[in-house]
Amino acid sequence: MGKGKQRKQIILPPELPPEIADDDIEVSDEDLQFVDENKDYAGFVSRLDTHSINKQVTRVEGVNEDALEALYEKRRRKTLEQKENEKSVVQVDPVDALPVKSLDGEVYYRTFSQTAEVTENEGDVDKSVVKLTKAERRAKLKKTKKEAKKMGKELAKTEEVQPTQQEAALAEVKEDLTAEEAFEAKKRKLAELGMALLADPEANIKSLKEMLQFAKDGDHSIVKLGLLSLLAVFKDIIPGYRIRLPTEKELEMKVSKEVKKMRFYESTLLSAYKGYLQKLLALEKQPRFHHVVVRCICTLLDAVPHFNFRESLLVAVVRNIGSSDDVVRRICCSTIKSLFTSEGKHGGEATVEAVRLIADHVKVHDCQLHPDSVEVLMSLSFDDDLGKPEVQEGNNKMKNKKNKKRKNFEESNQPLGNDRKRSKQETIAKMKEEVAADYKAVSYTPDVEEWKRMQSETLSAVFETYFRILRHTMRSSVASSEANGNITSGGSGAHPLLAPCLSGLGKFSHLIDMDYIGDLMNYLKRLAARGSSSDSSAQKVQNLTVSERLRCCIVAFKVMRSNLDALNVDLQDFFVQLYNLVLEYRPGRDEGEVLAEALKIMLCDDRQHDMQKAAAFIKRLATFALCFGSAESMAALVTLKQLLQRNVKCRNLLENDAGGGSVSGSIAKYQPYGSDPSLSGALASVLWELNLLSKHYHPAISTLASGISSMNSAQNQVYISISPQQAFKNLLLEAESFEYNQQGGTQKSNKRKGRSTALASTLASVEPPPVDENEVSKKLRRHFILLRDIKENERLRGELDRTTSALQLYEEYKKQRQPATLKNKKSKKARTTVGM
Amino acid sequence: MRPLDEKETTAVFEKIFKFTGNNLKNIVENPSHEGPDKEPGRYCFRLHKNKVYYVSDSLVKRATNVARTKLASIGTCVGRFTHGGNFHLTIECLNLLAANAKHKVWLKPTSEMSFLYANHVLKGGLGRITESIAPGDGVVVFSMSDLPLGFGVAAKSTQDCRKLDPNAIVVLHQADIGEYLRMENQHEQIIEE
Repeated sequence: MGKGKQRKQIILPPELPPEIADDDIEVSDEDLQFVDENKDYAGFVSRLDTHSINKQVTRVEGVNEDALEALYEKRRRKTLEQKENEKSVVQVDPVDALPVKSLDGEVYYRTFSQTAEVTENEGDVDKSVVKLTKAERRAKLKKTKKEAKKMGKELAKTEEVQPTQQEAALAEVKEDLTAEEAFEAKKRKLAELGMALLADPEANIKSLKEMLQFAKDGDHSIVKLGLLSLLAVFKDIIPGYRIRLPTEKELEMKVSKEVKKMRFYESTLLSAYKGYLQKLLALEKQPRFHHVVVRCICTLLDAVPHFNFRESLLVAVVRNIGSSDDVVRRICCSTIKSLFTSEGKHGGEATVEAVRLIADHVKVHDCQLHPDSVEVLMSLSFDDDLGKPEVQEGNNKMKNKKNKKRKNFEESNQPLGNDRKRSKQETIAKMKEEVAADYKAVSYTPDVEEWKRMQSETLSAVFETYFRILRHTMRSSVASSEANGNITSGGSGAHPLLAPCLSGLGKFSHLIDMDYIGDLMNYLKRLAARGSSSDSSAQKVQNLTVSERLRCCIVAFKVMRSNLDALNVDLQDFFVQLYNLVLEYRPGRDEGEVLAEALKIMLCDDRQHDMQKAAAFIKRLATFALCFGSAESMAALVTLKQLLQRNVKCRNLLENDAGGGSVSGSIAKYQPYGSDPSLSGALASVLWELNLLSKHYHPAISTLASGISSMNSAQNQVYISISPQQAFKNLLLEAESFEYNQQGGTQKSNKRKGRSTALASTLASVEPPPVDENEVSKKLRRHFILLRDIKENERLRGELDRTTSALQLYEEYKKQRQPATLKNKKSKKARTTVGM
Repeated sequence: MRPLDEKETTAVFEKIFKFTGNNLKNIVENPSHEGPDKEPGRYCFRLHKNKVYYVSDSLVKRATNVARTKLASIGTCVGRFTHGGNFHLTIECLNLLAANAKHKVWLKPTSEMSFLYANHVLKGGLGRITESIAPGDGVVVFSMSDLPLGFGVAAKSTQDCRKLDPNAIVVLHQADIGEYLRMENQHEQIIEE
């Protein structure tokens, strides 16, 4: 028999590689049913050596490539033999109940159909692990279960008629089944159990344990399926309260039947849940199950945060929150976020725990985590009046005390004869208290005090984390400077958590306690000064990027502003930092938005400025606007304009006499590289930059610049104030479209030229005469055509290279292949001789 | 008129340092453009009749022509040494301090007058304050339009100021520009001497 098969496969037409055939084959439900019903007939399938068959087939493939012709010859020669073989195949399968469609196809049909199905299912599992959302996955699970149930109904019926003999029957069936069918059966069983549980959890609670057994199966896909279906079941049947197991005393007490039943149900559920969690936590460490387990844990935490064993779930989630695996991290983060946002589900306790766990996590990992793990804290929400009611309470207490005193006073005043009355009153009061306590215990309204306590605890944990990160950043930079820069700490890479920490501080700045503000400002000041102070001494110490330092400044201002409406504090040091950071800014490297935000918060929002300081900033921003892209210079110019509007004296800068007169103060000469804005002597200079900027290629900037330079003469100008941030964004958006609009833009400027004569004269002298335009466009066209040709050439060359390399590779492969095929041939020969 | 000796120099510098911090360097190294020389000279401190003057080098050279007894004043008077040997800054040095001040306090317009009558600065009159002032630091007082009004010593740190009640003293008065009017006689006497 074996020999016949082998031969037959050798003769397989080479155009039909079996892998492709797999996908095309569709197994109808009827076929399956048939097989299911006639288990005994299908027995031969189990005896089929699928492994060797596959091997043969692949080898045939290999042969095809090499010696197609030889194969064809063989086929020609052995047509007679083939016929005999066909007969033998028929003989091999005396079961003519199986439909014979084509001679070759039949056998493979069976085997491949099984394997194909298996792989399909595995694929499903994998897919669900990778990307399906919760709801989708759930739906899918149910669907698969239903399908499985439908398919398995016939089988199930026959066996479930005698439920007592179920075990025996199952054992019997198992003997016959192959691995695949066992898998199928397990799946079905799982589905049945799950459906039964969902339909009537109280009656079928015991089957939870059975399902749990599946998770201990050897087959990985079964384990995965088991975990997922258990997850679905638990999500549905877990009650909306926390289960408290009865104490021994309570167990001793006599209870009604229903209570007993309920207790049994709860304890079974709890123990099964516990077992499930243990299994999950145990499997979490295995990389194979990691995704599935994390998904299970996250879904559970999301769905039933109020239930028992939440702590272990939280621990597992937080442990994975900084995972290097993107998928895992994202799931964990979203779970934690939803935990924070839907506090009603668990009454806020889980929030406190989670935040504290994150704090510990950060501590343990020494702040070397993915930024997401701290960014999660941003989605926390606190009551704004967190601090206020406490005061009221204090007042209440005072009042109470007073009342008590008064009462005591009154009581002492009362004659002793009223003893009886008093005792009566006391009992009444006691009763009232008891009733109130009971009511509190029963009612679901969150306790205000408790709520407040939890919030403050959460807040303290959050700020602990933030401060730890700040301190770590400082410490590490000092350490790295001591280590003489052996470790090349590249900007944000060294302090991954600083950015989310700073943004968090900015968000919760209004909640920071007054006592901490001093320390916080100190930290921020030192962090912001990190780069510049070390610049002169040693370059290697500079390990905070400009954006990070700008952020430090911004946060400092936010903290000050949100806390100190009453007291207007001048943050001199931060202004010095900003003044220097403007020079260090590089458009590609640093974030323009951050700079724009800093300009807005520090310069535009602050009402009062020193004249000297304002002048220094005006001068520096004008210089800055000259050097960088249109978006940055626009932001700078908008800030500059607002500064000039506020500080009338600084408009001396617009006048054309250098020296600044008496206003310039003690410093008679402008020092462009000075580090202190109030000592730069900017008032002694002239804003000549504006004149250049009014010839800027970008129409918006040129109009703004010329508007600013004429600010002094035109008295009643309409001031349109947009924030530098907005300006920056507008121009960034415009940047892409600007290239195309440029033609229109120049036309516009030409129009303007016609209107405003004063400007026109200056512009006309600088701009090339319009006659040249045609020539210029021609030249440009030629240039761009050349550029495009070069690019095309490059692309073609690249393609050529790729093809040649591919060809080379193929040839090498062929060379390697030949000895292998020779060997194969030999071995084949040897085997055939043995078979003979 | 003579240069300060070492003890006097430390006394003067310590006092000014309280107000200006590291900007003291600017005061000392400030180039002077007085006199006919092409090269800008420097400023220096000179002691004359218990008073300390901030003078440019070229002026010092020219002042040697005047007899010591006849010299009433030279350059900017910065302060004077008391009989006990302490150094006190006087209001004339205000411009020098204001240009290099490290700690500043801005007064609300309503409380400017009060300060100009030699009263202390109260929390209620505070318009703005630089952060990180420690008690005991020298503070220059400005009006909201950045006009220097005088100087004093901080009584409370910036941190403490937040929780202070409006009547508490923030800056202790030392000198203000009201003195030019109030003590007109005294100043005249000094010059006449």
